Amino acid sequence: MVKLSSSAIGAETSAAPAPEITHEDIDRARDRQRVFKARSQRGWLSRTRLLWLLIGPGILVMLGENDGPSMLSYAATGARFGTGFFAPFIVLTFVMAIVVQEMTMRLGAATHRGHAELIFVRFGPFWGWFSMLDLLLGNFLTLITEFIAVRAGLGFFGVPPWLAVLSAIIVLVLALLTHRYWTWERITLAAAAFNLIFIPVALLTHPDWHAFGKALGNWHPLPQGGLSKETLLVIISDIGATVTPWMLFFQQSATVDKGLTRRDIGYGRFDTILGAALASAAALAMLLCTTPLFLHQMDAGSFQAAEFAQALQPAIGRLGASLFALGIAEAGIVALITISISSAYAFGEVARRPHSLNLPVTEGKSFYAVLLLCAAVAGAVALIPGLPLVYVTLVVNAIAVLAMPPALVFLYMLVNDREIMGDLISPRWINFLAGAVVVLLTAAGVLFGLSVIAPGVFARLGGG
Amino acid sequence: MKMDPANPLPASRGRFVTSVLEEDQLSHAKKRPIPRRQLRGPELAVLWLLRIYLLFMIAVVLYQVWSGAH
Repeated sequence: MVKLSSSAIGAETSAAPAPEITHEDIDRARDRQRVFKARSQRGWLSRTRLLWLLIGPGILVMLGENDGPSMLSYAATGARFGTGFFAPFIVLTFVMAIVVQEMTMRLGAATHRGHAELIFVRFGPFWGWFSMLDLLLGNFLTLITEFIAVRAGLGFFGVPPWLAVLSAIIVLVLALLTHRYWTWERITLAAAAFNLIFIPVALLTHPDWHAFGKALGNWHPLPQGGLSKETLLVIISDIGATVTPWMLFFQQSATVDKGLTRRDIGYGRFDTILGAALASAAALAMLLCTTPLFLHQMDAGSFQAAEFAQALQPAIGRLGASLFALGIAEAGIVALITISISSAYAFGEVARRPHSLNLPVTEGKSFYAVLLLCAAVAGAVALIPGLPLVYVTLVVNAIAVLAMPPALVFLYMLVNDREIMGDLISPRWINFLAGAVVVLLTAAGVLFGLSVIAPGVFARLGGG
Repeated sequence: MKMDPANPLPASRGRFVTSVLEEDQLSHAKKRPIPRRQLRGPELAVLWLLRIYLLFMIAVVLYQVWSGAH
């Protein structure tokens, strides 16, 4: 059964001029028609089809955030600390991501407007531009690290850096050539599923499941040396590997572009939780992958992706090491696609230019130009010889954590704004959880700052 | 953004789109302004505090990068 909107009813019954219809509208209407059809039928097959039609943005944003620097952060964590405290900690960061991303999905489904646009129109250009600058700076730095990950991953197979970067840009262009949100989403989902390659690689290391299960329950053993500066850096890096500002902008814009409505919010929640479950499984698998380096007391402090694969080769064989390197390259490519699209969505929303993956190139010139320009410039920077990957990764993840509290406060205000959300404003318990996430992220940032500018004070507070 | 005037949209297709999409989902609806919200004092204070926090912390990160490089 097709639900008629009030405007459609008006168009049928009055002589009012028909609204301007675009290619974007037609493509979205086709997608929505399939949703209506699946919803109107009974039986588990139709329910499954409905689920298949409505999932996407949540899985993409979570697997997209399992990007090059994130996987490298998990790898460094496993190599330095093993599973212990960090296995449940990584799960906790994904719970935080669910809390935050559910709000942004709900905001998109209720308002049909992107995140950048809502900040601009509700709070004014002054705060809007601050948010945009945070996003664009963070995204640009992150894109550089994605290209570095692709370089490092493909470098394991002897692919020269320029060819690796060019290949990543070609994949990005191919994904966009469809000019259809639905097709792009399915292609990117298939590519993102490759993130789970770290699960079989982890199995090749013959993990100690008993110790792993125990660690998930009791958070032990705690990191050696207590809350040292090094431990804090890893904590910050792992948070930044899971909860970042681009995710807010991307999932809300993708929810709008996909055409989700208030009625689809339950499926949107499922999509977000499923995405977090898959991404946390891949992250934990990466932790397990590099735990043998911890057990053999190898110094992996300055390892890049290819070095991890080479160091693991004696334990997991050439095939395992190759899959590991491929997984790193894939993580970079998927994130390259999703992050550059989040920049283009935000630019279009703020500049009031057409912004949709349903747009043909002729109608979305600025959208596609921003998208490709961001990727091309970041790719060029990533080709600078001797770029310190470990440093860039640290900076990117740290900036992501530091930029989250301001971004979350905007999200909190928008999602509790009854004028735009109606009865879909957040219930108290979600507001409580969101507040806890803001406090946790701010506290992590302050501790990090203390460890850098006042190491003496930090040591007296209990740090090393 | 408009369809090609030489090939106007068939009326049936226009009806199909408006019957399937909610009014706010149509691309032309995005041009409709949403009223601006006046921020209250405590909200502005929190936003400014977090802005100062972010700028300060970015300076801390840059300092760490600089000190690490030396």
